[in-house]
Amino acid sequence: MVESPLVPKGNVPNGTLGVKMKKALLKDSLKEIKNTYRRFISILLMAFLGVGFFAGIRATAPDMVDTVDKYFDNKNVYDMKLLSTLGLTEDDIIALKQIDGIEGVYGEYSEDILLNFEDTELVTKVLSLDEVNQVSIIEGRMPENSKECLVEKSFCTQTGKTLGDIVTIEETEDSIIKEKEVVIVGTMNSPLYASRERDTSKLGSGRVSYNMYLPKESFDSEVYTEVYLTLEKAKEYQTDSTEYKEVVEQVKEKIEGIKEERQEARYQEIKIEAEEELNKAKTELEEEKQKAESEIQEKENEITQGQKSLQNAQATLNANQKQAKEQFTLAQTQIQEAKEQVLKQEQDLPNLENKAQQEIEKLNAQKEQLQPNLTALKQSISSSEEQLSQVKQELQKENLNPEEKQVLEAQKTQIENSLTMIKGQKETLDATLQTIENAILKIQTELQQGKEALKQGKVQIQNQEEELQKSQQNANSEFQKAQAEINNSKTQLEEGKTALASAKEEYQEKMEQAEKEIEDAEEEIQKIEKPTWYILDRSANTGYNSFIQDTQSVENLGKVFPIVFFVIATLISLTSMTRMVEEQRVQIGTMKALGYNKVQIAGKYLLYAALACIIGGSIGMLVGFILLPKIIWMMYSMMYVMPDISIHFNWHYAILGLGLASICIIGATLYTALSTLNQTPSELMRPKAPKPGKRVLLEKIPFIWKHLSFTRKVTVRNIFRYKKRFLMTIIGIAGCTALILAGFGIKDAISAILPNQYEKVYHYQMQISLKSGITNTELENLMKSLQEKQGIKKIVETQMTSGTLVNKGKEQDVQMIIPKEENLQEVIHLADSKTKETVNLQNNKIAITEKVAELINVQKGDTIILKDADEKQHEVQISNIVENYIYHYVYMPKELYEKLYEPYSTNVLLVEHTLNNNQAEDALSKELLEKEEVSAISLNSSIQNMMNDMMSSLNYVVIVLIVSAGLLAFVVLYNLSNVNISERIRELATIKVLGFYDKEVYQYITRETVILTAIGIVLGLIGGYFLNYFIMGTCEINVLRFSKEIRPISYLYAVIITIIFTTIVNIVTYFSLKKIDMIESLKSIE
Amino acid sequence: MAYIEFQNVKKEYQMGEVTIKALDNTSFEIEKGELVVIVGPSGAGKTTCLNILGGMDSVTSGKVFVDGKEVNKLKNKELIKYRREDIGFVFQFYNLVQNLTAIENVELASQICKDSLNPETIMKKVGLKERMKNFPSQLSGGEQQRVAIARAIAKNPKLLLCDEPTGALDYKTGKQILKLLQETCRKENMTVIIITHNTAIAPMADKVIHFKNGKAQEITINEHPISIDEIEW
Repeated sequence: MVESPLVPKGNVPNGTLGVKMKKALLKDSLKEIKNTYRRFISILLMAFLGVGFFAGIRATAPDMVDTVDKYFDNKNVYDMKLLSTLGLTEDDIIALKQIDGIEGVYGEYSEDILLNFEDTELVTKVLSLDEVNQVSIIEGRMPENSKECLVEKSFCTQTGKTLGDIVTIEETEDSIIKEKEVVIVGTMNSPLYASRERDTSKLGSGRVSYNMYLPKESFDSEVYTEVYLTLEKAKEYQTDSTEYKEVVEQVKEKIEGIKEERQEARYQEIKIEAEEELNKAKTELEEEKQKAESEIQEKENEITQGQKSLQNAQATLNANQKQAKEQFTLAQTQIQEAKEQVLKQEQDLPNLENKAQQEIEKLNAQKEQLQPNLTALKQSISSSEEQLSQVKQELQKENLNPEEKQVLEAQKTQIENSLTMIKGQKETLDATLQTIENAILKIQTELQQGKEALKQGKVQIQNQEEELQKSQQNANSEFQKAQAEINNSKTQLEEGKTALASAKEEYQEKMEQAEKEIEDAEEEIQKIEKPTWYILDRSANTGYNSFIQDTQSVENLGKVFPIVFFVIATLISLTSMTRMVEEQRVQIGTMKALGYNKVQIAGKYLLYAALACIIGGSIGMLVGFILLPKIIWMMYSMMYVMPDISIHFNWHYAILGLGLASICIIGATLYTALSTLNQTPSELMRPKAPKPGKRVLLEKIPFIWKHLSFTRKVTVRNIFRYKKRFLMTIIGIAGCTALILAGFGIKDAISAILPNQYEKVYHYQMQISLKSGITNTELENLMKSLQEKQGIKKIVETQMTSGTLVNKGKEQDVQMIIPKEENLQEVIHLADSKTKETVNLQNNKIAITEKVAELINVQKGDTIILKDADEKQHEVQISNIVENYIYHYVYMPKELYEKLYEPYSTNVLLVEHTLNNNQAEDALSKELLEKEEVSAISLNSSIQNMMNDMMSSLNYVVIVLIVSAGLLAFVVLYNLSNVNISERIRELATIKVLGFYDKEVYQYITRETVILTAIGIVLGLIGGYFLNYFIMGTCEINVLRFSKEIRPISYLYAVIITIIFTTIVNIVTYFSLKKIDMIESLKSIE
Repeated sequence: MAYIEFQNVKKEYQMGEVTIKALDNTSFEIEKGELVVIVGPSGAGKTTCLNILGGMDSVTSGKVFVDGKEVNKLKNKELIKYRREDIGFVFQFYNLVQNLTAIENVELASQICKDSLNPETIMKKVGLKERMKNFPSQLSGGEQQRVAIARAIAKNPKLLLCDEPTGALDYKTGKQILKLLQETCRKENMTVIIITHNTAIAPMADKVIHFKNGKAQEITINEHPISIDEIEW
């Protein structure tokens, strides 16, 4: 027990007595508690609520931070992250390793790729697995080789792939992923993506759909995409704490120190590399040039030669022609001569014939002359031969004597001789004849021959003539042919010449181009920007950052809510204890008269209050520490993938909460006790002068006062009489109504988001993402086929991409929508966020959505920086800030887009349809997905369903608020009505004696409560409106715009629920009024 | 049958293990228009008796009749009605509603009765016409008690019950109050019962009931009651 400095020590009775007294005091206090347990419980409950809420909500944020801290420590999540516009090298890593305070340096790879599935195209981020930012395996196992990957669970759900399935990675230029096919070996959660949000991407619709992890060896790149650092000592401190931030800041400064040098080194490296390449290219160009020139020379030579040989050929041909002509003429002459000769011979022929005839006749005459000689000779020969044959026959006779024989022989010989002689003659004659005949023959032959020769000569001439003609013809055709050939060659040559000329020209052009290219390349080398390092900490991680922001919202909430409870707790204890002290006025006076000092007397009340405070507060603390973090976590766990919250007994807030409650409750008690104790015992023993009645202001307005019934007048006067109670009741009721209204307001805000976004802002129901690289014709065809579909009302072509808005160091990711034509309004209602008037996109300006404008603090007409996925920055002016409830958008006119970026290409179609059931919509999307050109379809209806599920968790908040509001209302009202009754028990007993019916007594007292409740409700509704506004402001999730408007029905709910709580208390009051003993009215005033 | 009859009334309180007999077989009768003074020492049962008569307490046994009504058998609501219409009560400590002016305190009673008297007339009668717009805290004790009496008679009750009406007043003021009660009784022909421990005022009554140990031990009838002005104590 604290001794009040106000008390003179001399008053304390001696020591042993003091101890006894204290025992008696304790006994007295406990008895008091037993007797006035209702009062005790109401103070206890206030302490319970105050401390419970304070400690619970306050402890939630640290619990949440601790949860993420432990999670990140376990998974060795980076403390700092380095990015460079030109990548980071092994040298950079070596340099970083030398910095003090850095524990681990991890070079990592990542790349966004498009994965194609049957009917969808998913932007997937592929990251490398390492010791840093370790993933948690949900199913399966870690990859063991470069062909094994980990994916997100939802990836499997969407694509239908399971563990063991193969994912094909299409080969693209510049890809740093080596593998073309990888096997899914497990599903994972990554601490880097604790929220449901994924990174932005240059591919597809501008946002990564899923992450995939591959071992480091699956990548092939000279440079690391990013470098993660873990810091010494960082794990010792809680993330986001001042100490932690200091550790990070220190290392950041050190890295800043080597940054310039490393940037320069990388720059030089790249520059040298580029220059080398350029030089190589130059050399190559030179070689090519020479080769090309020599080729041209060769060609030219060939052409000259060709020309020469062509000329020669022409000359030869001409000479040949001339010679041939001469020869032909000669031949002609010869033939002519021969012809003339033959003609002469022909003319000579009859003469010759005559001469020959004469010759023959002469010879025939000679022959005739010789013929008789021949006949005579023949006869002589035949006779001689007969003689000879006779002789011979004789000879052959055997009996011939040799003489005979000799004679015969001699005869024979003689005949034979004569025969020979005749024969000789005959031969001579024959020969002569022969000669004659031969001569005749000869003449005849000669004649014949002459004739023949003549004939032949004629034929010969004819032949010759024909031959000549023929050869002439031949020669001519030969010549023609030759000429044609020459002509041909000439044309060819001519063509060759032209070709050469154009080749030369082409060469010239190519050369120029190549030279220009080299020039450009040189320029480009000049232009190579020095790489910029981005030194980031954990706050650059979207999931982490939004989580920390959320813990801050919870913290803010913890700053306001408990205040309401503490204020009310103080007021309640103040009234309760005041009443208690007043009730025991005489007793206090007696004790004081008996010589107890102030401390001892006040001690009883302080002990009473302290017991209520400590018991209530301790229970509240335990409940608060366990329940509130759990409930709040339940809501957040819908949005984050994290391990379960680690709940602590937070000594800091326990002591602070209990301390605050003690100050409020015990302080209030001390105040009342002391103000009573300062009176003298005699004053105390006399009855306290009743509070004098007073006229109220209202009585001065006779118009109103006169029209009030008597009991109402009493009520009005009573209300103003007990100002403390008046205030308390109103605050209590107002607090209750405000909390309930805020609870419903949150519900309204959340449930209004979807209709607001999907009915007020979006008029389209379907978003069709197109395959990348779709051609114009394909697009036109698709549009045509879509327009023919039943139920499709409107199609708007847009390009969607992502970007970041930057203003004064504040950054926010946004989705950019660039409509192709000026028809965006047909499917997205762009309305001014304040006036709600429809606005149009303006040339060269962008319209941004409300929430992002608020987050980065920009106004209509401001100029801000728009950063694309390549970190390229452009300054743009904001023409309008438009109404929007989910996520952040930038609407940009097409011409501005083309001015800032590449040519426009449609990648998303926004479709409004008139299908009014889900099945029809599903069927349509299924049909569309089968089309080659369509990569994905997202239905607003399914997004709505998904979000509805998520948001339903927020109903817990509403329940917590309503329950606590009800408790608050109940405790306040119950307590107040108790005080009210006990304070006015004499008055009430009197009117009972006067014969007031129970109902009238009840009305007499509760009419005040009703009026106060009514006032409290009205104030509560106003307060609730602002409380709701505050809660919305602090709890609002970054990507959502909560509607701060509360539906009228919620006001009604708040009123009805407050009335119900009030009524419950009033019913309790009714029974306690009934129990009032009229005898009380007879008692003397204490 | 007398106007008021107490027949063998017993009243016992259970205080833990002890039974206290507040009234022990008490009987008496009071006639209409009588001014009755009940005297006796503390704890003799006077107040209990008054409470029972006033319909504020029940009996353990016995019967109580007021104007032919058996009060002890009335149900809660009937009892309230009885208090409302038949009884006027004057308390030792006036029990005025502090928040109401004098006349409003009277109105508090008159507005709930059927044949109530005009509050202003009553105020005139009790001699407080000038001060009727004052709050109790602005009045002296005697004035406050006058207001209390005015409040009691404004209901035009059958029975005016006064519990030590002068207990908190000085001699002179007390006398004035008693005079007012006596006059009321005489002029309005109202039955008035006054409880007091002051036996000196007994001569002003038509009937004096002496209470002792929970019993009406002695009932004396003054044939000639004297005016309060003539009594000195």
